[in-house]
Amino acid sequence: MTLYETTIPGVGRKFEIDCGTETLVALVHHDGKRELFRDGDDRHERLASLSDREARQLGSVLAGTYYQPVQLDDLEVPLGEAIIEWVRIDEESRLADTELGDATIWRETGATVIAVQRGRETVPSPDPEFVVESGDTVVALGTRDELAALDRLLGGR
Amino acid sequence: MTAAGGPLPPLLTVGVVVTAIALAGAVAKRFGQSVIPAYILAGIVLGPSVPRHLGPIRLAVVDPSGYIDVFAELGVVALLFFLGLHVSVGELLSNRRAILGSSALDFLLNYAAGFGLAILFGFSTLEALFVAGIVYMSSSAIITKSLIERGWIVEPESEPILGTLVAEDLLIAVYLTFLSSVVLGGDGLVDAALGVGRGFLLLGAVAVVGWRGTDLLDRFFASDSDELFLLRVFGVMALLAGVGLTLGVSEGVTAFFVGAALGPTDHAERIERVIDPARDLFAGLFFFGVGATTSLLALSSVAGFLAVALVVTTVTKLVSGTLGGKLYGLDSRRSFRVGVGLVARGEFSLVLAALAGSAAGDRLGSLVPEFAVGYVLVMSVLGTLLIRHEADLLALGGRLIPGYSAPQVDGGRA
Repeated sequence: MTLYETTIPGVGRKFEIDCGTETLVALVHHDGKRELFRDGDDRHERLASLSDREARQLGSVLAGTYYQPVQLDDLEVPLGEAIIEWVRIDEESRLADTELGDATIWRETGATVIAVQRGRETVPSPDPEFVVESGDTVVALGTRDELAALDRLLGGR
Repeated sequence: MTAAGGPLPPLLTVGVVVTAIALAGAVAKRFGQSVIPAYILAGIVLGPSVPRHLGPIRLAVVDPSGYIDVFAELGVVALLFFLGLHVSVGELLSNRRAILGSSALDFLLNYAAGFGLAILFGFSTLEALFVAGIVYMSSSAIITKSLIERGWIVEPESEPILGTLVAEDLLIAVYLTFLSSVVLGGDGLVDAALGVGRGFLLLGAVAVVGWRGTDLLDRFFASDSDELFLLRVFGVMALLAGVGLTLGVSEGVTAFFVGAALGPTDHAERIERVIDPARDLFAGLFFFGVGATTSLLALSSVAGFLAVALVVTTVTKLVSGTLGGKLYGLDSRRSFRVGVGLVARGEFSLVLAALAGSAAGDRLGSLVPEFAVGYVLVMSVLGTLLIRHEADLLALGGRLIPGYSAPQVDGGRA
């Protein structure tokens, strides 16, 4: 497989990829447009005309490096069945100004509190005596159902 | 000369002109034609000469003297600047024998045809020099666009076509320098010679800076901000072009050299991106201005010569291009396409015409530009159409000429 690269003055660069049975030609314009041709018998046949963005996407698919960053709508990290959720505690919450141990979160919901974020600080694996204040964010680990139960529990007093 | 009913205020004029260009461009695109003839036609319609009225509506609203002139000059400067930016001597040396042969053929046939015809029709030597240049220069802009549109750009025939254009572009810079010194340098042989000398000194200085000072230029133009970058490039371009003009060098020539000096720097691509829109705007105003200074009545006075020149120089381009394609080792069909691809004439013929128009002497100052406008109007459209219908053209040839069979493409690489 050979790749020929030529500069076309005032237009851009031309790449010819010899694939044995046929020749593919990619034309990269100065303005970012890309065109893909296949060598026909009389003339080249234009297969596609792509914008810069489309071309990059197609290129990454062809190169096997395509990936789509996950849309983290409500900030979940997949861990098999379990997911991690961040729950913000407001003044209305049952958990505000209580010790974690008194909240019996795990017994009632099955979710585990793995950390509490306060401002810029993160307290990992907080003790049962840790007092949660309104404004904190509780980081909990559990299945979807367990976390839904936790949301209900923390939702109101 | 102002239009009947008094001139419009400047801002309104610019507004009318740019809107007219936009409309003309949209119509041209709708019909798959080049925008250049459309811009010229818009200029003819809105300029001070006939047609002046459309029923009760006054059409002659633009007086081409004054501020439109400045924009148009900037258009010439920007066009030639970009031409210089793309000139690559490396390109010329890459396939030396074929490119030299085909561009020599191109020059000899077309230039000689233009010069000979002009002399035959009673033009002076200087006028004939202009006419020869006008019919010799193919249009890089129109042809490159058409090649891309038709997909010929990836075919082997694009190599001789683009190679010929590169060679023409280099030659026209030298030719413009020579002619502008003769025209702008004053009268008399001594004055003209001095003008040529001064002009070449300035260009030499620019060339040396470009050739030796790539690092220096890189540093000088380096800027984080596109805005400052644009201003810097445009400032240097316009300033040097203006200096050149006062020394008796056409503004376009100096701009060409400035472009060529910047070509090898790291900024070439950024210039492309940042300055392209400005170029399109000013070039559009230039084409409009060419149309606005054209009078259809005067055009009719060169009609006979124009008709002959159109036919003859279409044929000479077809022949020189076909032979050039052969030099590149292409088969008959592809060689013929090279000829077809080079027929369109455009912006540089008009740049030459603008230079002629700036000359004193009514024949050179009026007849030659009128001829150029008529010539480019037809040749730009014809060139585009020929490229689009090249296959039909061959089929037609097959029907008209007994015993002729259209050459087939063997599909192989040359």
